[in-house]
Amino acid sequence: MRAASDERARVRGAQRGSVFDLEALFRTHWPRAYRAAYLVTHDAGAAEDIAQESFLAALRALDTFDRRRPFGPWLHRIVVNRAIDWTRARRLRSELELSESLPSPERNETPSGDVLAALARLPPEHRAVVVMRYLLEFTPGEIAEALDVPRGTVNSRLRRGLDTLAEEL
Amino acid sequence: MKRELERIEIPYEQGARERAWNVVQAAFADRLPVERTSRRLRPVLALAVVLAVVAAAISPPGRAVIDEIREAVGIERAQPALFSLPSSGRLLVASDAGIWVVQEDGSRRLLGDYREATWSPFGRFVVAARENELAALEPDGDVRWTLARPDVRSPHWTGSEADTRIAYVDRTGVRIVAGDGTEDRLLAAGVRGPIAWRPGAGFVLAYVTARDVRVQDVDSGRVTWRVRRAGGQSPIRALEWSSDGRLLLVLQPYGLRVYEVRGRVAAKDDPSDATQDADAAFRPGVLDAAFIRAQGSQSTVFWLATGTPLFSGTGEFDQVTWSPDGRWLLVSWPTADQWVFVRAAGARRIRAASNISEQFRSRSFPRVEGWCCAT
Repeated sequence: MRAASDERARVRGAQRGSVFDLEALFRTHWPRAYRAAYLVTHDAGAAEDIAQESFLAALRALDTFDRRRPFGPWLHRIVVNRAIDWTRARRLRSELELSESLPSPERNETPSGDVLAALARLPPEHRAVVVMRYLLEFTPGEIAEALDVPRGTVNSRLRRGLDTLAEEL
Repeated sequence: MKRELERIEIPYEQGARERAWNVVQAAFADRLPVERTSRRLRPVLALAVVLAVVAAAISPPGRAVIDEIREAVGIERAQPALFSLPSSGRLLVASDAGIWVVQEDGSRRLLGDYREATWSPFGRFVVAARENELAALEPDGDVRWTLARPDVRSPHWTGSEADTRIAYVDRTGVRIVAGDGTEDRLLAAGVRGPIAWRPGAGFVLAYVTARDVRVQDVDSGRVTWRVRRAGGQSPIRALEWSSDGRLLLVLQPYGLRVYEVRGRVAAKDDPSDATQDADAAFRPGVLDAAFIRAQGSQSTVFWLATGTPLFSGTGEFDQVTWSPDGRWLLVSWPTADQWVFVRAAGARRIRAASNISEQFRSRSFPRVEGWCCAT
């Protein structure tokens, strides 16, 4: 409760022009935004761009932001949607992939972690749902609203995602 | 599962956070009503001052100030050939013989009979144009793919390691093709002018139509902003983005404009009939550019932000090109048949190489197409 009121105060401060409050919001929410973007895209450069652009988008909408709503989920919703868009838009036309002798970005960017490698094998939409549910702690209803899909779709993607992860791990 | 997701090591996290905070902080400063005015005016005022300083500098009393860095026709102590580059990276050069790659040690390789080329974003490939062909090459000259199109010009490659696009101009207008040579399509019909990708996320292209300069997201098709061409129908020689994508410089011989991303003029310069702006290039990593001002038989390179001269000589300078680290500026000096490397960071140093045309088997003075990417 205290944290929520602190965050409202920070949003109010940022709306009034306080860099201190903006920095507090940034420091609080950047790590999860970047982590979520990376876990969906598996590309550090894209994750940085997406998290950064999402903060800028949030900044542009700051004046009209309803302070009764929590800031984090609002921001993370932007991040995940942009990450999904990026992943969908990605084609097999990377600069690296032009050369067979060089590793693909996927292999290049993917550390050896088992969970990360298993996550990479999920379709991006399933990946996003898992990240939203278990990293960002959205409820299935909130995920459905954020991604504009039926709640049943969220549940089935979660189920299939977890099953696949269990098999992989 | 939550613990597992939080335990995954995310690469480059700290650097990404600091870079993002710098960008967010700058954007925040821009949006503040009180500070925004002063922040936005700061570059405008600085650049307006520049123009006054430039005007003063090229006046007779002002010239005395720059005597110490003025050279006659050519640097006397220049090397007879380009033995090496003063900074890391490789040059891409267009001459009558074709496109060349110049390594840091001065070695040169002719890629083929192309007339224009640029580096891919990370310098692993080159996109080159000849009359009716666009081609993606490796720096050793191996051709990866080609695309037959009529009267191809101005190829430019942009993107991340994961996704790239090439913009080019042909007889139909500005076209976009993916980095693997697929999905070629027309973006803007009838457009022939220069084009420039905006650095940063996404695929945003600036180009010139008969009436205006446009900035367009090529994937969504949305025109982000457009501004009416200044200087009447005088040809636009170049479009140049600052390396952070915040400023766009539009260069005409008698009208230089610097625009902010929403199309607001941050600076302008309208040289008199006696002078011309020949070329300009933003220095990597900073909101400042070097530009060439030609007056009579004299050419001078000025800093845009401060108006101070950087290098001056007799005859024509036709091009300025920054090293990838922004420490050295290459000034092309056809009158002297020299390339002059001026160190812009730290103590002033000058290195020069002569006989440039001969080394690139060219009757016309070779053109630098890019200085890219330390490897």
